[in-house]
Amino acid sequence: MTPSPDLIDELQASRPVAPAALRARVRETARAPRAASPWERFRLPVRRVAVVAAPAVLALALVSAGAVGLSRSSERDVFSDAARPVEDTPQSVEKETLGATALGAPTGTRDSATGRAQRVSATLTVEVSDSDAVSDAAQDAIDLTRRLGGHVVSSSVTTGEQAAATMTVRVPVGKVQQAIAGLSGLGRIVSQQVTIDDLQASLDALERRQASLRNQVARIGARLDTESLEPEERAVLETRLQRLQLELRELRRGITATHAEARMSTIELTVATPEAGVVAPAPSRLERTLDEAFDVLVWEGVIVLALAIVLAPIALLGLAAWLGQRLYRRREDERLLST
Amino acid sequence: MHAVSIDSPRPAGAAAPSFAAVAEELLDDVYGYLLYLTKDWAVAEDLTGETFERALRRWRKFDPRRGTARAWLLAIARSAALDWFRAESRRQRREQRAEARERRPESSFGEGLSPELEDGLRSLTAGEREVLALRVVLELDGEETARLLGMSPTAVSTRLHRALGKLEERMRRHDPVA
Repeated sequence: MTPSPDLIDELQASRPVAPAALRARVRETARAPRAASPWERFRLPVRRVAVVAAPAVLALALVSAGAVGLSRSSERDVFSDAARPVEDTPQSVEKETLGATALGAPTGTRDSATGRAQRVSATLTVEVSDSDAVSDAAQDAIDLTRRLGGHVVSSSVTTGEQAAATMTVRVPVGKVQQAIAGLSGLGRIVSQQVTIDDLQASLDALERRQASLRNQVARIGARLDTESLEPEERAVLETRLQRLQLELRELRRGITATHAEARMSTIELTVATPEAGVVAPAPSRLERTLDEAFDVLVWEGVIVLALAIVLAPIALLGLAAWLGQRLYRRREDERLLST
Repeated sequence: MHAVSIDSPRPAGAAAPSFAAVAEELLDDVYGYLLYLTKDWAVAEDLTGETFERALRRWRKFDPRRGTARAWLLAIARSAALDWFRAESRRQRREQRAEARERRPESSFGEGLSPELEDGLRSLTAGEREVLALRVVLELDGEETARLLGMSPTAVSTRLHRALGKLEERMRRHDPVA
């Protein structure tokens, strides 16, 4: 049905006009100075805040990651000599990385400063110029080990373009300082690490148990020699004595092995050419900083993701409630306007 | 007739109109819309005053890039009117009996309307009168009306045709010759 143009014209020609009293009232309202609410000046426009806050939070995350990365990379400089190529002379390196406690000990099983038994092990990587130098260095290392009273546990030498030699040697603890100094002189030191494990606690325990077993063995032996015992009782005691003696023998072996462990140090040596790729290039300060910063960013991402996972259901519920309320309100409006 | 300065998009760099200028220019539109919606001049006047008070409080938030001042004011007027309808509905429910309601005097929708058309307008629902006021009397386009009412342009068009059809029918009953 097309509405009559007359009808529309009549409606448009008779537009309602606001009465004079209402006009005066609205004019008064519009001219009146508006008393600003005290809260209004503190109210922040949400969109503007979001536009500023989103990049600010991102920048803060990046800056904090960078700062943490920078500080952690500095910490690595201080505490991790093993990861850094050592440019000093071998002697000075030893003094830096190996404590007097470990290396100043005389030949024997115990450290002279503390009197404790310790296991000393070292890992050393040196770089030489070519394949021939690798072979020569491996031979020199074996000679040095033997000269110091030690022995080679294992050795593997690869020649050719990517020449490399890896060997494990054991030298007396008292000679470890000499050994490292000698091995360091085989090429350019790339990394070295010395580890000291305390064996005294376990040695003490073994010795206490040994003393206890000796006492028990002596007591049982005395009873068997002096007392007149029933055959069954004697058999029980003899069985027990045999078990104790067996345990005592095992214990003595353990103590001897521990002493041997404390007497000899283990050195793992790697000799390689730069082309061999055995020696991983030490990361620069910038690389370490970026690496640490990336780690921090990953953690920040994980935290944000976790928060999103936790908050997503709540946000969805809120959204559903808001949509439901909006729908209800719209229907209610329609109902009101249908009368 | 509407002033171009407020209803059309402002050129960049043009000074923003003052609230007083906007109120002066759009008062008739707001009042007319509310009169059509409520059928009651007294209520329409009250709601018009309330609309401009609300608008003044929110004037700083008005962004001309998001719509015309007229659409913004009409949205505030609609919200005020719906609040009034809700309050009325609650009041009527409380009173329970329709007889107890205060009978308001019948209002005119505008100077010069024939009694048949006045009668026809009164027979329409508030929703139908609303769309008639916006599309025919205030001459808002379909898109703007749809945005204001929160419905699709098709629904607006359907409601408008229904309202005009009812009015035509009513007029024909009054004057069977036409």
